[in-house]
Amino acid sequence: MAKTTKKAAPGTMKKVLAYIGRYKLLLPISILLALFTVASSLYFPVLIGDAIDCIAPWGDDSGFARMHEIFLEALILIALTALAQWLMSTINNRIAYHVVRDIRNDAFGKIEELPLSSLDKKARGDTVNRVINDAERFGEGLLLGFTQVFTGVLTIVGALAFMLMTNVVITVAVVLITPLSIFVAKFIGSRTFNMFKERSECEAETTAHIDEVLGNQKLVKAFGMGERECESFDKLNGRLEVSARRAIFFSSLTNPTTRFVNSVVYAAVALIGALAVMTPVGGMSVITIGMYSRILAYSGQYTKPFNEISGIIAEFQNALASASRIFELIEEPAEESDADSKELTEVRGSVEIKDVSFAYAPERPLIEDFSFTAKPGQRIAIVGPTGCGKTTLINLLMRFYDAKSGAILVDGENITDVKRGSLRSKYGMVLQDTWLKAGTVKENIAFGREDASDEEIVAAAKSAHAHSFIKRLKDGYETKLGEDGEGLSQGQKQLICIARVMLTLPPMLILDEATSSIDTRTEIRIQKAFATMMEGRTTFVVAHRLSTVVDSDAIIVMNDGHITEVGTHEELLARGGFYTTLYNSQFAKS
Amino acid sequence: MKRLLKYLKYYKKETVLGPLFKLLEASLELIVPLIIAAVIDRGIATGDTSYVVKMCLLLVLLGAVGLFFSVTAQYFAAKASVGFVTRVRHALFGHMQKFSYSDIDELGSSGMITKLTADSDKVQSGLNLTLRLLLRSPFVVFGAMIMAFTVDATSALTFAAVIPVLAVVVFGIMLITMPLYKKVQGGVDKILRKTRENISGVRVIRAFGKEEDEISEFKDENEKLTKIQKRTGHVSALMNPLTYVIINVGIIALINVGALRVYEDPSMTKGDVVALYNYMAQILVELIKLANLIISITKALASASRIADVLDKEPSQSFGTLENSTSASDYYLEFENVSLRYRSSGEDSLTGISFKVRRGETLGIIGGTGSGKTSLINLIPRFYDATGGSIKLFGEDIKNYSEAALRRKIACVPQKAVLFRGTIRENMCWGNPDAEDDELLFAIDTAQAAEVVSDKGGLDARVEQGGRNFSGGQRQRLTIARAIAAKPEILILDDSFSALDYATDAALRRKIRERIKDTTVVIVSQRASSVMDADLIVALDDGEAVGIGTHEELLSGCEIYREIYESQFGGAGNG
Repeated sequence: MAKTTKKAAPGTMKKVLAYIGRYKLLLPISILLALFTVASSLYFPVLIGDAIDCIAPWGDDSGFARMHEIFLEALILIALTALAQWLMSTINNRIAYHVVRDIRNDAFGKIEELPLSSLDKKARGDTVNRVINDAERFGEGLLLGFTQVFTGVLTIVGALAFMLMTNVVITVAVVLITPLSIFVAKFIGSRTFNMFKERSECEAETTAHIDEVLGNQKLVKAFGMGERECESFDKLNGRLEVSARRAIFFSSLTNPTTRFVNSVVYAAVALIGALAVMTPVGGMSVITIGMYSRILAYSGQYTKPFNEISGIIAEFQNALASASRIFELIEEPAEESDADSKELTEVRGSVEIKDVSFAYAPERPLIEDFSFTAKPGQRIAIVGPTGCGKTTLINLLMRFYDAKSGAILVDGENITDVKRGSLRSKYGMVLQDTWLKAGTVKENIAFGREDASDEEIVAAAKSAHAHSFIKRLKDGYETKLGEDGEGLSQGQKQLICIARVMLTLPPMLILDEATSSIDTRTEIRIQKAFATMMEGRTTFVVAHRLSTVVDSDAIIVMNDGHITEVGTHEELLARGGFYTTLYNSQFAKS
Repeated sequence: MKRLLKYLKYYKKETVLGPLFKLLEASLELIVPLIIAAVIDRGIATGDTSYVVKMCLLLVLLGAVGLFFSVTAQYFAAKASVGFVTRVRHALFGHMQKFSYSDIDELGSSGMITKLTADSDKVQSGLNLTLRLLLRSPFVVFGAMIMAFTVDATSALTFAAVIPVLAVVVFGIMLITMPLYKKVQGGVDKILRKTRENISGVRVIRAFGKEEDEISEFKDENEKLTKIQKRTGHVSALMNPLTYVIINVGIIALINVGALRVYEDPSMTKGDVVALYNYMAQILVELIKLANLIISITKALASASRIADVLDKEPSQSFGTLENSTSASDYYLEFENVSLRYRSSGEDSLTGISFKVRRGETLGIIGGTGSGKTSLINLIPRFYDATGGSIKLFGEDIKNYSEAALRRKIACVPQKAVLFRGTIRENMCWGNPDAEDDELLFAIDTAQAAEVVSDKGGLDARVEQGGRNFSGGQRQRLTIARAIAAKPEILILDDSFSALDYATDAALRRKIRERIKDTTVVIVSQRASSVMDADLIVALDDGEAVGIGTHEELLSGCEIYREIYESQFGGAGNG
C-alpha cells in the first residue's frame, strides 16, 4: 500500500545512526558483504560473456577447454555470492530488528518515567501507535534501506564501472539517458502526493465514523439508527473510493513509465553496441559478441535499481517520519531524577499540607494556599460533586503531580525530598478507575507483593469479599484475565483491586470512590474490612455516598476544583454551608 | 470466501482486462531477446546497419506499446480493487448493523473496526497486486521456457529442469515462513497490549512502584518478538541466494549444452545461446518480484477470510412483522417465568422472573453488583432474547413485533452516557429524526438539561467525539433527554442517575412523572431513593427476584431490600 510521504524532523537520521552505532561491528561486515555480492553479481556476466566467446562456429571445439575453466570459476563465484547474500541479509535483519527492539525498549521505558502531567495530556492510541506501528514501519524501512538502497547504489556504480571498462561510448550514452527515468518518477511522485493526502483525509474521516458507530454499536441499535448510519457511511465510503482510485492509479504509473525509459536505454545500448561490433571506432579494441551481450546485461542491471530506488526512497522517508515520531516520545523530559534523594523509611502516618497551591493550567487556579494536617491513624474524607477535583488532591499526595508552591510533609519529611517510589509504597491506593493487568487473578492480587503465599492471597481476597466469586471463576485464582480485567464485571474488578491493597497493607491508605461500582450491601461488608484495615493507618477516603464519611476525623469539602470547607461532620452541618446542602440532597424525596 | 468473490462480479470486465493487458505487456518483453538474437545473427553477422537500426527502433516501439498496455492494466486493476473493497465495506457495515447484542459481544467492537479498516485495506492492495502481477510472473517464467524451446529444444530442456526446482524452493520457503509470520503478528499483539495496559494503568503501577518490573516484562516480550522476527528473517533470507544459485547454475548448464549444440548443429548460432541466456536471466528477475508478491497476497488472503467470517455469520435474531398491538390488555409489560443464560456462560444470569406493569406506571429495579439488573432490562427491547419463559408488550409476545416497532416504542438510556460527534440537535434527534425544536427543548427541560444546552450555546452547539466536551453528569442528562425526545411508550433508565447529585436525581424523576404520564418508566438503580417511589419494585439478587412489591411491602417483607435501604439511609450503614 502506497503511503504519503511525511516529513521527518531534522536530525532524525543522526539519531537513527546513533542506534545503529551500537552494532558497530556488524555494519562494516554488512557493507563488505554488500560490496562483494554486488561486485560478483556484476562480474558474473563478464564470465558468461567470456564463456560465450569461447563458443566457436559449427564443428570447432577448440574453445571448450577454456570454457570449462571459466565454468569452474563461475561455480565458485556463485557459491560465494550466495553465501555472502545470505550472511548479509541475516546481518541486516539482525541490525534492523535489534535497532527496533532498542528503540521500543527506550520508548516503553520513557512511558514509565514521564510525568503524569504530560502523559495525561496524550491520547493513549497515539502513544501506542508510536511504540508499535511507527516502530514497525521504521524497522521495515530500515531493512529495506539496508538491503536495497545500499546494494542498489553499489550496483549502479559497479555496473557503470564495468561498462566503462567494456566500452566508453556506450556507457556515456547510457548515463546521458537515465536521468530521464528519475525525472519521470519524481514528476509522478510530486503529482500523486496531494492525491494520497486527500485519500488519507478521507480515510481518517471514514475510520472516525466507523470507530464511533461500531464502538457504540449497541447504542446505535437501541435507537434503531442502523439504516441512517449506513447512509452516512456510504457517503464517506463513496468519497474514499474516488480518492483512493485516483491516488492508486496515478501512483502506479511510475513503474510502467520508468520501465519504458529503461527500454529506450536498452534499445540505445543495443544499437550503439551493435554498430560498435560491426565498425570498431578508431583505436578501440574490437567488441566481441560476448562483450556485447555483457553490455546489454549491464545496462539492464544499471537501470533496474533506478526503478526501485525511487520507490524505496519514498518508503524510507516514511520510515524516518515514523522514527521521528518515536524520538519525540523518547526525548520528552522525564520526571526529575530522584536517585540521590533519600528513602522514606518507617512512617507513622502524619501528613501535613502546608500552603499548597496547584493548578493544571496556570489560567485556572484550583487549590490555593491550602493547609491541613492529618495525624497518624486519622480518617480524612474528601467529598464533593462529581468532577469537583477530588482526585487532584490524591494526585498531589501521591506525587503524581507536584504542588506549584507550598509543601506536603509526611512524618515531617518534605515529599519532594524523598524518592517517589518510597513515598508511594507507603500508600495503599484503590481508585474508582479499576485497572487490572492481563494475567491471572492471583498475579493481580499479588501485584504489590509478588512473594505473597497462596494463603495470604486467599486471605486478602476473603477480606475484600472477592473470594466467593473468584472461586466460582473457571480456573479459580488461576483464571486468566484479558487486558484490563476483561471477563469481569466492574464491581468484581473493584473487589480484586481492593484485595490487591489488602495484601500489601501499607501505613497510609487512599480510597478513591473505591466502592462506587459495588452494591451497597457488599459495600458495607467491605467498609467493615476497610475499617479493620484503617485501624492505625492514616486514610484518605474520597466518597460519593456521604453516609460513609460521617464519622471521619475530618472532611474536606470540594466544589469546582476548590476546597470550600474543612471540618468534622458536626462542625460542617452546624456551619450550614455547601456540605449541608450536599448532605441533605441525598435524602431529598421527589 | 465465495461471499467476497460475488462482489467482484461487478468488475468482471476489469478483472479480465487488467491481467490480460498485463500479459500482453509481458509477452512483448519476451520478444526482446529474440530481437537481440536477430541483431547479432543477422545484423552484425552480415554487417547490415539499417537492419540493426530497424530492430532497435522496434525495441523502442515495443516499449511504447508495452507502456500503453501496462497503463491500461493499472487502470483496470485500480478501478476493480478499490471498487471491490468499497462494496465489501458497504456490505460489511450493513451486515454488522443487523447483529444482535450477543453477536456484538462475540465479535467485539475493536475486532469489527479492524475488519472494516485494516483488513479491508490489505484486501484492496492484495487484489490490486494480484490483478497486476500474479499472472504475470508464472506467465513470464513459462513463457521464457516456451520461447527457449522455440530457439532450441535440446538446450531448453535445462529450463524444464530448473523451473520445478525453483518452484520447490519458492513454495517451500513460503510454507515454512507463513506460520512464522503469524507468530510475529502474535508477538506484536503482546507488546501492543503491554503498552496500552501500562498507559491506562500508570497510576496503579507507580503507586505500587512496579515500573522496573513492567519494563523488564516488556523487554522480555520484546526480546521474544525480536527472536521470532530474526528467525523468520533468516529463513526468508534464503530465498534470494537459493534462487540465485539455481538460476546461475542453470545458466552455466545452458551455455554448456548450447556450446555443444552449436558445435554439433550448424543451424544453431551464438546469437541463439545469448537469447537463451537472456531468457534465463528474465526468470531470475521475475522470481524476485514473485516472492514479494506472494507475501502480500498471503497477508491479503488472511484478511479476506477474516472479513468473510463476519459476512458468513448470520444475525442470531429474527423479528416479527407486528407494528402495533391489537390486544386490549391492561398491561404494557409482562414477564412470565423469564430466564436468561448468556451464550458464553454456563449459568443462568436470570431465573424465573415474573411481574406485570400497567401503562404509565413506574417499575423500579434494584439489586447488588452482578445481580442481573441490566440483564433484565436488556430483555425488554430484545437486545438479548430470553432463554426461558415469555415476555409480552402491550399484550403481545415481543417476538411478534418488527425490529423498527420495538425501537420506536421503547427508548433506552444506557449506563454509559455516549454522545456522537455532531451537534446537540443531531444527537437529540436519534429516536425521532423529524422532531421540532420545541419538542427537543421540552425533552431537554424534562431531563434537567436546559442549563447545559444554553451554557453550550443552544441546540446547534458542537459535540466532540464521544461527547468529551461535556462532563459525565451533563452527558447523562443529555442522553436522558435524547430518550425522552423519542417519545417512547416505554422508557428504560439503566442506572442513569449515577453521575447526578441526589437533588438533580429527585427533580428529574419528578419531572418525568409529571410530564410524560402515559409512558411506562423502568428505573434501574443502586440507590433506594431512586426507586422507592415506583409503583412496583423488583429486588434482584443473584439473578432471582427476591422481592416484588411497593417500597413499603418490600421494606417489611424483603430482607435484601431492607438492607440496601438501610445501608443508604443511615440505619446500619456506619461501616
